[in-house]
Amino acid sequence: MRRVAVYLFAVVVGCALGVGSALAMAGLLPGASTMAFGDLNVEGWHSDFAIGSKAADPYTRARVARHGLLALAKSEAVYFTTSTDTNGRALREDCTYRINTGRALPAQWWSVTLYTADSLLPLNNDKALSINATSVEPEPSGRWEGLISPTPPANAENWISSRNAGNFNLTLRLYVPSESLLMAPGDTLAPPAVHPVNCRGKPG
Amino acid sequence: MKRWIGPLIVALACATAAHAAALHFAPTLIMARAMDALAQRGVALHSLTAPQRITPQTQSVVRSSPDLYYALCRYDLSEPGMQLTLRMAAWPDYQSLSLFDAQTDNFAVLRGTGKAVAVRLLPPDSAAQEGAIVSPTAKGVILIRRLAPDAARFAAAATAGEGDACRVVLTETAAS
Repeated sequence: MRRVAVYLFAVVVGCALGVGSALAMAGLLPGASTMAFGDLNVEGWHSDFAIGSKAADPYTRARVARHGLLALAKSEAVYFTTSTDTNGRALREDCTYRINTGRALPAQWWSVTLYTADSLLPLNNDKALSINATSVEPEPSGRWEGLISPTPPANAENWISSRNAGNFNLTLRLYVPSESLLMAPGDTLAPPAVHPVNCRGKPG
Repeated sequence: MKRWIGPLIVALACATAAHAAALHFAPTLIMARAMDALAQRGVALHSLTAPQRITPQTQSVVRSSPDLYYALCRYDLSEPGMQLTLRMAAWPDYQSLSLFDAQTDNFAVLRGTGKAVAVRLLPPDSAAQEGAIVSPTAKGVILIRRLAPDAARFAAAATAGEGDACRVVLTETAAS
């Protein structure tokens, strides 16, 4: 009888370890960060080009199912996310940031959207959730600049509101990306830089 | 020491099998939960659900884009002879019709910038046909995205969406 109990215990512990390790390795445990994915890092912006495709390895498949549900395959759109500024510090609601690019983004259309740590849009009525290729008027070089802050700037053009966002992250969507971006993202993409301006009125 | 070798081998075998099974079934379970959640939110079966503009107050899916018009249609082609007729009406900016199977794979996407797109969706194991796509699984989700970054464009996208279709049809095989 004791022998049977030992084997039953071995089965239960083995199954629990097997399921637990699979969920952990695929980033599926409750509370796992939605940022905990992506094998691609371009200047602090993370992406996973396997999203939307039938990736071969089972860990990637499970991870993509959790974090990229209903996302498009890379031929249609690629998604980059960052949660840090150019100094490597976490993006926070009580800081003001200047966001800019040095040259045109390699896609037919793009947007930068702010999300809370829970991957939701911040609960405010500022109607300033994103800036995008339609809303900005870039210079001939493709350069543009915007502001991220909890209160509207004097010139509210190209403004993303971080009011009620807490610690937040930004997602860059690139629709119909160029072939070169898909082939060599590190060489092709100059993602927006997020510079701290000040935090609660003090220099960032 | 010897008496622990048997239970240890059993534990390792169970861990390996459970690890593989969890990874194998995770996408299907995640999609099944998502389909249930969509049904509870009113996303219809075999019909496109007219969307609300995404705002902090209306969002119900994580990481939705406030700049896009999303129209969803769930499908279930389990019954013999069923297929779907899909149509995405013309829209001057970027738009796409994407199809996701029950394992979350985006098995087809049709871009329709400036033009209408029509296609039929056939159940798994159907023979290939011109103008048709075979779904890898009986159930799945269809999603139309339109670029609509402000209220006026969203209203225009909704008007264009009146020409969209996601309709089930029964073939002669089923009727006979």
